[in-house]
Amino acid sequence: MSRLWRRHGSWLAPTLFILPGILLFGVVIIFASLQTIWVSFHEWDGVGAMVWVGLDNYRQLIDDPQFFVSLKNNVIWLVMFMAAPPLGLALALMLNQPIAGMRIVKSLFFIPLVLASVTVGVVFTWVYDPTFGLLALIFNAFGATAPALLSDETFVTVAVVIAALWPQVAFCLVLFLAGLNNLNEELIGAGRVDGARGFAMLWNVILPQLREVSFIALAVTVIGALRSFDMVAVMTSGGPFGSSTVLAYQMYEQSIFSYRFGYGAAIATVLFVIMAGFIVWYLRTLLKVEEGNA
Amino acid sequence: MYPRPIPPTAPLRRGVYIGLVSLVLLLWLLPLFTVMVTSLRSFEEVMAGNYWGWPKSFNLIENYTAVFTQTAMARYFVNSLVITLPSVVGVLVLSTLTGYVLSRHRFPGANLVFALFVGGNFLPAQIMMIPVRDLMVALGLYDTYAALIVFHVAFQTGFATLFMRNFIAALPDELFQAARSEGASPGQTLVHVVLPLVRPALAALAILTFTFVWNDYFWAIVLTQSDAVKPVTAGLSNLRGEYVSAWNLVSAATVIVAVPPVLMFFLMQRHFIAGLTVGAVKG
Amino acid sequence: MASVELQNIEKHYAGYHALRDINLTIEDGEFAVMVGPSGCGKSTLLKTIAGLESISSGRLLIKNRDVTKEEPGDRGIAMVFQSYALYPHMTVAENMGFGLRMAKRPRAEIEAAVARAAAILRLEEQLDKRPRQLSGGQRQRVAIGRAITRSPDVFLFDEPLSNLDAALRTQMRVELSTLHARLGSTMIYVTHDQVEAMTMASRIVVLNKGRIEQVGAPLELYNNPVNLFVAGFLGAPRMNFVDGTVRTADGRGAVVECEGGMSIPFGQLEGRVQVGEHVTVGIRPEKLTLEDIRSSVTFPAEVRLVEHLGRETILYADAGSLTTSNSDSGTGAFTVQIGDVTPFRPGAPVVIGFEPRDTYLFGADGRTVSAPKPVARL
Repeated sequence: MSRLWRRHGSWLAPTLFILPGILLFGVVIIFASLQTIWVSFHEWDGVGAMVWVGLDNYRQLIDDPQFFVSLKNNVIWLVMFMAAPPLGLALALMLNQPIAGMRIVKSLFFIPLVLASVTVGVVFTWVYDPTFGLLALIFNAFGATAPALLSDETFVTVAVVIAALWPQVAFCLVLFLAGLNNLNEELIGAGRVDGARGFAMLWNVILPQLREVSFIALAVTVIGALRSFDMVAVMTSGGPFGSSTVLAYQMYEQSIFSYRFGYGAAIATVLFVIMAGFIVWYLRTLLKVEEGNA
Repeated sequence: MYPRPIPPTAPLRRGVYIGLVSLVLLLWLLPLFTVMVTSLRSFEEVMAGNYWGWPKSFNLIENYTAVFTQTAMARYFVNSLVITLPSVVGVLVLSTLTGYVLSRHRFPGANLVFALFVGGNFLPAQIMMIPVRDLMVALGLYDTYAALIVFHVAFQTGFATLFMRNFIAALPDELFQAARSEGASPGQTLVHVVLPLVRPALAALAILTFTFVWNDYFWAIVLTQSDAVKPVTAGLSNLRGEYVSAWNLVSAATVIVAVPPVLMFFLMQRHFIAGLTVGAVKG
Repeated sequence: MASVELQNIEKHYAGYHALRDINLTIEDGEFAVMVGPSGCGKSTLLKTIAGLESISSGRLLIKNRDVTKEEPGDRGIAMVFQSYALYPHMTVAENMGFGLRMAKRPRAEIEAAVARAAAILRLEEQLDKRPRQLSGGQRQRVAIGRAITRSPDVFLFDEPLSNLDAALRTQMRVELSTLHARLGSTMIYVTHDQVEAMTMASRIVVLNKGRIEQVGAPLELYNNPVNLFVAGFLGAPRMNFVDGTVRTADGRGAVVECEGGMSIPFGQLEGRVQVGEHVTVGIRPEKLTLEDIRSSVTFPAEVRLVEHLGRETILYADAGSLTTSNSDSGTGAFTVQIGDVTPFRPGAPVVIGFEPRDTYLFGADGRTVSAPKPVARL
């Protein structure tokens, strides 16, 4: 045993080290994800046998108005979430002052980030409550009646996204504050000697240094928007009348409540294709950056 | 530093600045404050519609005791701990091993394995929901702690591997060459060289993983059903349906769910921020 | 005409007195080098001139204009940074033209200024490249080019050569001196390297602990340092310092006795030292002799280490209880610099000698009491 170990230890040990991680991640995450694509070609109630139906589920998707509602809502999420990086940057610029006590203030600004999305959902359901919520308070102050945002088919998604932006802006704030901390002092000095100030300084000297951080903030924001599920589930359950569903929620609903696992898998696959496109772009850019640094 | 620091010699500008920041902070956390204040109000006050005035009485102890005794919150809380803590340990162990091998050993397919770990970490949860649920049912783990623990360890290992690989890759090469020249095996190198040096990374990773797992909602509702295993997130969602009008209790429960991650964050803030930014920035 | 005038400048950081009562006038066209050990305040002083650091009190004039409260971009200065601080996302041409762009000058003027600077620094081929595609020496030139493009009243250099290797450093030293001769502009240069200071400066400013110790031409400072600090800082290898006590001091002269009973006679010191005062005797390594029977004062020593530099040889030798502070060897051994390449071996006994007229004498408070008279050598 010991001789065997000595002879093969150089590759055997690393193999044994990495194997549990690869197996677990490979089976539970990667293989399961691929399996979903397989399931999407079947009709299945989750209990009985799977029946091969080919592309039937996808054909149904194209005729399903609810699917397009979800898709449209995902686009709304994506577009509105794009506000998170600039807002995070604005907050970071505001908070980046070396004054006693600012550390605590910054941490307080980070709080939404560590809250569970369920917590954020519950808090904002409360804010939006048309009789006693924060919104009602503001409307009443102007003598108006607050709209019931979460039961309004037109505004419900916007309202949910605003709630979801709260932690997302905090996330971007953390990233940009870290970025501002790593600025090259001499470069800023050079900019000042060259007469750059205010917006010219931000645009020509600061933002180029924050390129990497901005890229990451953008990436986590896109992924966050596409993944959105918790807030919809907690705040509206997709309602009213399915007007606030997103792909992730519709998939869950179809599978768990309607026992249409094949159809749910098809929706998941569409979401996956959208996400995969983005991930491929992200990883390629990332590898290019790593090569550039090497 | 950018923007330019406001000099201590300009007390007026400083004052205006501090006032402005305080105002923004107040607005930023207003939703949370109101929930916290509501969790102190009495039931009568809530029924009477006093949500914004100064609380007539402070029912801190009454409300929070009620949450723990009248609802299943205590059970959920214990469940969350039983699920989260082993998950964190599992993730730390697995990702140290994978991160070490991926950063210090070249082998065919290493890049592919790494790309899968990173890419898989970005997958939407729904894409793996059906097979994972099916797998847990088949293994007899559905609606047990183990189902959530196994899943969380598997999923978080993706991000954690990226994190550990980057951290170990940043350690000086000479250290590993020295260990090899002294005849240390890969296992000995791991124990005597890597482990002592990655402690800060492990601390950061532990808090991040704790927060991620504690805050999970999707898998909680997909893989559990009964109150006996349900974690706080799913529990809070249930509670909200059951106690529709008792907003003071729902608020108290909301605060209880939020306390562990917020506490963790404040206790180990530096690690948390470093972890999040290193994980993101270097990744 | 005075180009830069510093008047009573003080700088306090949080509880730290970084600059103390700095008064200095730098004339038009001067190449002033600020030198001192790390932490002496030289970089801080340069940054206050640039306007990158505020000053706590005092006044700063550039071209007779009070710029104390002005922004760096409005002071008529240009700066070359230690890390070069080139904008990584801009091409070489964009880097060099950025200052003029910020000043909203017409494009044709910017292009002409960049072309002129590029020609001076032989950067014509690199104009479209980005900084990371350049070598260290080229980046250095771009940083200088960026300064030239702005045609400033004053050039500021913050240890610009410290990131270059030794060969390139010597080359850039020559180039900078040539550039100064060609442009005739006022230049203020900060370094911790006294060789750079000695070779490039028209005037050296020696700083220590936030204070100016001495200002003067390189040789003036070398030959007539005002105190122990300046004497010890300038010159390579460094001056040997030996502790001693004044035994007699009267109208005929003074005698200092060192450890080991060695006595050194000095001329008339006119009450500048007291009998019994603890003083320091300084002698430069090139003024020590080896095995030279003509030397008036000698003491025995043992060779510890020999460095052959080709044209000259540097020996470190222990002389028992007679030790030197400020030694390059850091062990109390004497540093001897001799011209010939005699094969001394470590461990060999030698006799070190010197002439009392070549020695410096520093009082208990560090001020120079006696310095060698300049002698015209044939």
